[in-house]
Amino acid sequence: MRRPKLRHIGAPIPRKEDLRFLTGRGRYVDDIEIPGALHACFVRSPHPHARILSIGMEAAKKSPGVVDIYTGKDLAQWTTPLRMAPPIEGLHPVEMTTLPIDKVRFHGDPVACVIATSRYLAEDAAELVEVDYEPLPAAANLEQALAEGAPKVDESLASNLVSVQRFATGDVQKQKREAFKVVESAFHQGRMTHLPIETRGLAAVWDEGRQHLTVHIGNQVPHPYRSQVAARMRLSESQVTIASPDVGGGFGQKIALYREELTVCAASRQLKRPVRWREDRMENLMAASHAREDSVRTRAAVTKEGRLLGLELEILEDFGAYCFYPANYLARVVAMILTGPYKVRDYAFEVKVALTNKCGNGPMRAPMAITSWVIEGTMDAIARELRLDPLEVRRLNMVETRELPYTMPTGEVIADITPRETLEAAVKAIDYAGFRRRQAAARQEGRHLGLGLCSVVESTTYGSRFYKAAGIPGSGHEAAWLRIEPSGAVNASVGLGATGQGYETAFAQVVADGLGVEPSQVRMQLGNTDVAPYGMGSRGARGGTAGGTAIFLAAREANEKVLAIAAQMLGFDSAEGLHLVDGRIEREILGERVKTDLTLAQVARTAYLDPTALPKGIAPGLDFSKTYDPPPMTYSNAAHACEVELDAETGALKILRYVVAEDCGTVLNPFVVEGQQHGAIAMGLSGALLEHMRYDEHGNNITGSLADYLVATATDLPGFEVIPMHTPSRGNPVGIKGMAEGGVMGAIGVIASAVNDALAPFGVVAERQPLSPDYLLSLLRQT
Amino acid sequence: MKPAPFRYHRPRSLADTLQLLVTLENAKLIAGGQSLGPMMNMRLVQPAELIDLNALAGLDLIAEKDDFLEIGALARHHAVESSTLVKKHCPLLAEAAGTIGHYAIRSRGTLGGSLAHADPAAQLPLVAATLGAEIVVNGKRGERRIAAKDFFVSMMTTALEADEIVVSARFPKAAAGDRHAYLQFSRRTGDFAIVAVAAVLHSRKLRLGIGGAEDKPLVFEDFSAHEDPQAIARKVREAVQPTESPRVPALYREELVEVLVKRAVARCLTSI
Amino acid sequence: MLDFDLTVNGRRYPVRAEPRKLLSDVLREDCRLTGTHVGCEHGVCGACTVLVDGKPSRACLIYAVQMQDHEITTIEAVAKDGKLTPLQQALHEVHGLQCGFCTAGIVITFEAYLRENPRPTEEQVREVLAGNLCRCTGYHNIVKAILRVANERRDAQA
Ligand SMILES: Cc1cc2nc3c(=O)[nH]c(=O)nc-3n(C[C@H](O)[C@H](O)[C@H](O)COP(=O)(O)OP(=O)(O)OC[C@H]3O[C@@H](n4cnc5c(N)ncnc54)[C@H](O)[C@@H]3O)c2cc1C
Ligand code: FES
Ligand code: FES
Repeated sequence: MRRPKLRHIGAPIPRKEDLRFLTGRGRYVDDIEIPGALHACFVRSPHPHARILSIGMEAAKKSPGVVDIYTGKDLAQWTTPLRMAPPIEGLHPVEMTTLPIDKVRFHGDPVACVIATSRYLAEDAAELVEVDYEPLPAAANLEQALAEGAPKVDESLASNLVSVQRFATGDVQKQKREAFKVVESAFHQGRMTHLPIETRGLAAVWDEGRQHLTVHIGNQVPHPYRSQVAARMRLSESQVTIASPDVGGGFGQKIALYREELTVCAASRQLKRPVRWREDRMENLMAASHAREDSVRTRAAVTKEGRLLGLELEILEDFGAYCFYPANYLARVVAMILTGPYKVRDYAFEVKVALTNKCGNGPMRAPMAITSWVIEGTMDAIARELRLDPLEVRRLNMVETRELPYTMPTGEVIADITPRETLEAAVKAIDYAGFRRRQAAARQEGRHLGLGLCSVVESTTYGSRFYKAAGIPGSGHEAAWLRIEPSGAVNASVGLGATGQGYETAFAQVVADGLGVEPSQVRMQLGNTDVAPYGMGSRGARGGTAGGTAIFLAAREANEKVLAIAAQMLGFDSAEGLHLVDGRIEREILGERVKTDLTLAQVARTAYLDPTALPKGIAPGLDFSKTYDPPPMTYSNAAHACEVELDAETGALKILRYVVAEDCGTVLNPFVVEGQQHGAIAMGLSGALLEHMRYDEHGNNITGSLADYLVATATDLPGFEVIPMHTPSRGNPVGIKGMAEGGVMGAIGVIASAVNDALAPFGVVAERQPLSPDYLLSLLRQT
Repeated sequence: MKPAPFRYHRPRSLADTLQLLVTLENAKLIAGGQSLGPMMNMRLVQPAELIDLNALAGLDLIAEKDDFLEIGALARHHAVESSTLVKKHCPLLAEAAGTIGHYAIRSRGTLGGSLAHADPAAQLPLVAATLGAEIVVNGKRGERRIAAKDFFVSMMTTALEADEIVVSARFPKAAAGDRHAYLQFSRRTGDFAIVAVAAVLHSRKLRLGIGGAEDKPLVFEDFSAHEDPQAIARKVREAVQPTESPRVPALYREELVEVLVKRAVARCLTSI
Repeated sequence: MLDFDLTVNGRRYPVRAEPRKLLSDVLREDCRLTGTHVGCEHGVCGACTVLVDGKPSRACLIYAVQMQDHEITTIEAVAKDGKLTPLQQALHEVHGLQCGFCTAGIVITFEAYLRENPRPTEEQVREVLAGNLCRCTGYHNIVKAILRVANERRDAQA
């Protein structure tokens, strides 16, 4: 395939999407007017764990505006349960019904769904539903869940330990015995939630005549979602349309088919009327999806100089009460890619995942977020215990450019990454050498500065071969479709679901270069499964790599056909030397480009309306479909550095500077890439400093509002200094490596590194996030 | 999160308001709605009747009297924070009001609402208590003035009777040469304080108000300006007994009291 | 149910609603002005911010019935005749929005704030912006856009 000159890819074009959002004319689910739509409201469990003895609905049914009320028993007739049983060693299969029937498993579990003519009236009635519960003892945390005789969250399991996986390569025990020292570190990450500013919500419209369900829902993966809806409602995929409009953020929360959503779909079909649900913020916090909450331990066998000889990792994850994903999937990726840019041969891990009586977990922007904190924290611990410079320890262990591609002990291959280059750039930008002097001077004045470093190797894009190798069902391919209309207008689509990443702009740039038109001429049609091709959707940071490449390939194919037709129209035997540039055919004569009079519009008209004039063997129309399955894994990389000041009297932290040097390969649109980097760092810092979804020791959720679940505001975050150091990937036709999650990983790691640097004179180490002021002060109190 | 149904009343006069308060069952006053609104949306409060104070004329005035400023119950936080009269005569009040919630919250939330709501960590009750303000209330027995120290009873409980409303508050004017400091520690900008400290230095005497530590603002008087800030801070710390909460350990609040008092006192002594 | 009139963006809308209906819901459902978003319904996120008599206010903490005799301005009326304001233009040019869900609240808040304080410092901008949650952008580019508008005004005055 010829690779065109890139004219639009990489150009800083302000986004097409912006205009409608800036003027209040976006179309999010709730903005779609559906005449006659009914509103759903869920009755939720006030108990962390209880048997449902009976559900009294008499009073509620008489409440004004109520159309009907459904419970788990009703839903069980209309939908099939979700069975999570991928053939993965060490992972136990589990199953859940659409709504609980016998027992509730967490504070906020939905037990009944009221359908009424307005949300106000539905809430009135929900208050009147009388559920008789028999409270059960709860497994409110990992300790309780794993204790002898613990209450079982899922009674079909032998214990709450839903998944245990072990791996070893080389001989870590031997390395530990022979090492100069074995350095142990611990890391505890709190429970979080995604918190898109737009909560979950949908409008389900059942068409009784056509026997067809249209679901308007903000969703990241429209096609896989449709397959799920169809299967669980016993419909065929041709009876379901998912129409994902503008989406107010997803971050992983808008992937799974949730129980509330399926309930609303079933209700619409049952009532033969449109039904909509807008989750409120209290529900979103309590019952949408949670994330993270891992306890991690590493043991690093090292030489006197700090060289890593062997590494042991233990992860224990609190997965909550329900598995919308294979329970091992998030923690296992951490274990697979832990070593990142660092060289080690002897490696072993144990990953345990337990169920507790809390809201179920799911992937949140960077499901492997803790990775960089763990490995970089281990580097810091090595430096601390051996009294070495943490930067030198990193330099010593980091893979050399000439050693790439490098195979990690788990078999993962990193290639085309630049960890040394980005680290040195970040170190220089933050003035590492000068900092140590300033730090010493500040300590004299009783001020405590700290500097952190964190290198990130981000697994952005999973190819099908990765899934196969990891024993996870699923595909890593993405699909694209492109049609040049008779007028020369270009419509294109991919299977991704946009949630703010600027696909409409960035992919128009890709099509523009692949095909040879102006980006303004391209319209991306996204989110509707009747239009979009069957792709795997937006998750991880695969959008650019998988989706961008698929649409590029489709555009190249279109370009070829257009040029073939153009050649005939211009009277040439072949398309050799012809180019399509900004919608006009150009001809190369002795290395000079000469414009012809022929335009894409004329070619398109011929293709559709004058097929007999087409070259032999060329079919009418200009409609193209392509799929692309990326390599098993694509990595990009970055180095984060930040400077903090710790108020040792209050525990307050202030971030003074934040630098990130990053390499994500070919950039489609630098605005979008920078924005993704900012957003990811912000989410990482927010989680590391503030966010904490808390339950009390009985399992009651005590984080019911945004006054309790704290996310970073503009005064909590610094300005970000981004140093672009992009080098194209050789494994991808466009050179894309992908990004969007690494910022989370880097931020979590770098802030911990900086805080521990500031804490160093006190001889204490922060092992927990969030790094709340009262936690930091509790450490200082010990000194 | 939609409020339960209620009947709505918008009286145009104080007399009508008081009349409604006596006659209606399960009625609630609403001013800025910045505290009541969230509680009603969460259905933690479900009044049958809502009496809207916003149409009462003249209740938002800020007026200078001989030795105090009279600030109407409907004066919005933003108006208090930016009033030249308040900045001149009660700079502590202006400064503290400017830290309440956010810009949009301050454009709507009212002085009377904040005093009546009596959140133990709120700025205005703390300032009222520290400055020795008087709360002017009116009810079926007529007008009465309650000293701030008697007005705040405990967590979200005041000396206000069910038939009374807050009409205004009188804040003593600062004397020439007085100094003040307001410091609060909260997790984020706009969050309620974990601990807040208001300090006033008046003719070599220090008065300190502590918010957030106990169930109402605490006031400590008559510290000498000659005393070491650290010693004062330690004394205050020993005198407070913060309540334990799952989010903030009592010990941490104690520590914050000590640090913030020390800093506030130091600021009073050094500010010009 | 009550019948009353609302004045929104200079236009009168006859409304029939229960007194408990939130202004945010009435704007979105009855006036069909869906640019005002709802993100928390307890005053924290700022997505629902509108102007009441020119002052930024949370529409989720106001009952529509309270707004008779007041002027409400929503995001739909900020750009005049399809022309973006300098703030909207700056947000577009420096990529100050991603999913766009928080954007209306931010634009509304700062259209008002910049009238009150046309040349704020970065610290002041961040303080005010703290009243609007954005989960996508990390605020960096929003701050940049607001400061750009402020600085352009400064240059224009100089
Ligand atoms: C996001 C957010 C952040 C906030 N942060 C802070 C903060 O940091 N510090 C802080 O102090 N506050 C904060 N607040 C609350 C805010 O200051 C409120 O404005 C204030 O507490 C109550 O004033 P209001 O006028 O809104 O009262 P309303 O909410 O209308 O009423 C509150 C209570 O007072 C009663 N009431 C109101 N007016 C009167 C009156 N004249 N006479 C008798 N009773 C009356 C009502 O019946 C109700 O019980 C915050 C609010 C929000 C939404
Ligand atoms: S919806 Fe009103 S502030 Fe969040
Ligand atoms: S742009 Fe998505 S929340 Fe701000």
